[in-house]
Amino acid sequence: MSVRRFVLSVAAAALLVAPAVAGNKLILPGARIAVAKSTLTVQPASEWNRLGARPGRNAETWTLDGDALNDLTFYGGIESGKTLFRDTDRKNQPLPQVSATMLVTDIPALVENSYRIALGTASMSIGTVEPVAFAGGKGVRFTYAFTRQGETLRRRGEGRGAMIGGRLYLITYEAPALHYYDRSLAAARQVADSARL
Amino acid sequence: MRRWGIAAALACVAVPAQGWAADKVPPLPPYVAAYQPTNVDERGAWMMADEEERHLRDAADVIRDPALNAYVRGVLCRTVGEDRCNAVRLYILRVPAFNATMSANGTMTIWSGALLRLRSEAELGAVLGHEFGHFELRHTLSGFRNRRSGTDLMAWASILIANSSALQMSTIGGFYAFDRAQETSADMIGVRYLATSRYPSAAAADVWERIMGEADATAIGRHRKANQRYAAGFFATHPTSLARATYLRDAAQAIADGGSAEGNAYRAALAPWLPTFLADQVKLNDFGGSEFVLAQLAADGWTTPLLFARGELYRERGNPRDLVAAAGFYQQAIDRGDAPAEAYRGLGLALLRGQQAGPAGIALREYLRRKPDAADAPLITTLVAS
Repeated sequence: MSVRRFVLSVAAAALLVAPAVAGNKLILPGARIAVAKSTLTVQPASEWNRLGARPGRNAETWTLDGDALNDLTFYGGIESGKTLFRDTDRKNQPLPQVSATMLVTDIPALVENSYRIALGTASMSIGTVEPVAFAGGKGVRFTYAFTRQGETLRRRGEGRGAMIGGRLYLITYEAPALHYYDRSLAAARQVADSARL
Repeated sequence: MRRWGIAAALACVAVPAQGWAADKVPPLPPYVAAYQPTNVDERGAWMMADEEERHLRDAADVIRDPALNAYVRGVLCRTVGEDRCNAVRLYILRVPAFNATMSANGTMTIWSGALLRLRSEAELGAVLGHEFGHFELRHTLSGFRNRRSGTDLMAWASILIANSSALQMSTIGGFYAFDRAQETSADMIGVRYLATSRYPSAAAADVWERIMGEADATAIGRHRKANQRYAAGFFATHPTSLARATYLRDAAQAIADGGSAEGNAYRAALAPWLPTFLADQVKLNDFGGSEFVLAQLAADGWTTPLLFARGELYRERGNPRDLVAAAGFYQQAIDRGDAPAEAYRGLGLALLRGQQAGPAGIALREYLRRKPDAADAPLITTLVAS
């Protein structure tokens, strides 16, 4: 193989591989940035990594050690008739849809049912549910826990969300109950507390 | 590692009905207790099944309630006999779908979705007997051998024959037809267990007829065509529900045995778990299928847990008409006098979402009065105050 042909084939291979995903990105502390392709902004006080793969069209995930170990996901203004995240099997297991008339109590229920269907587990349950001001609206803060199918590792989560202008704004943080949840809870809460519209 | 399941939704080939004269029900084959795998294939299958069982034993989905486990095992033993049922470790899994499985080494699972849908001990016995049939007939081993000889053939065929795709297709088709034949033979030995037990053998066919109804209701609820399959699917591993209902009904009529299905005992044993299993079903976003299941369970009248679950189902869908209907179901549950505090919560939230703030406040205050330490009490309190 000539050098020229080799260079060409390497370039062709790079073209095939490179543009497939947007790539992950380091989020620097201090600056206020928009998340989840929406007008929702947050101001992190510490470094995070934004994953290139999005759970849904108006969603975005940040992590510290990988999304299996700590997962901070933003849902930015999900419209009526849309699902929280992408359907895995729309025909046989469609996810529930956001409705503009949802009450604040329906937000934890939507998260619970979406997780139950997407993860195929009946172990998903909502814990405490309390009122909170979120992104300038009357919102809800709730805790949850689940175990993925075929695993013994229990995961804990905390979400806060609100229906603002008929759209759902939500931030969830989840991590294995073992070690990771407590370790990055403060950093995740700081980001969620800074949310503004 | 393959496990055999009932897999309700799968479909396929018409199986000729096997009729038996009433006076000659084939006797059950002699049973060898503490069977050990005898050759290299079987030892391999058992080793993998053992490994799977070690994982299953610690899984979070296993329901460990001793009373429920003892009850389900009791039904298995009364169906297949004491000597046979001792060979089985039975695990009840909290998975809201209709299924039961059997592994080579005698690991049986039954899913909570199946317990919710079955209506009597006889029907539960039919499902468990079918699964035990796979074990007794050593289907895992013969399935593995069939698959291996098929793949050997395909490996050679691709070398020997230039264009062997047609042969591959027919060999692959052979696997699935073999699976279907196994399902049918497990169904038939299941009927024989029922025939020799105290339960009526007609119960097996009832199960499949309701499964068909539910599949149609799910499809219609999702604005799809009811897609019940009545004939062969090339890749289907199980006979159609229609074929199963038909040949099981024929077999039961030929046997014509009596006995009590023990529907009341079944309902009583499941009662502590019914609200949990109903909630798991309602949260599946399957309005048509859930409504069908509820209607089937309410065949003898709407009880408080069923009315409450129906209210949750309608409130979940949340159209204005659904909210009116949901409030009605919660109210009916409350009027029966033994409704849980959550019925007042559902009533209040259905009314609130239906823009009836006044009556909603009354119901939500009643919820807080009855369950002041509820996990969502702080939020409900602010809803009432605003």
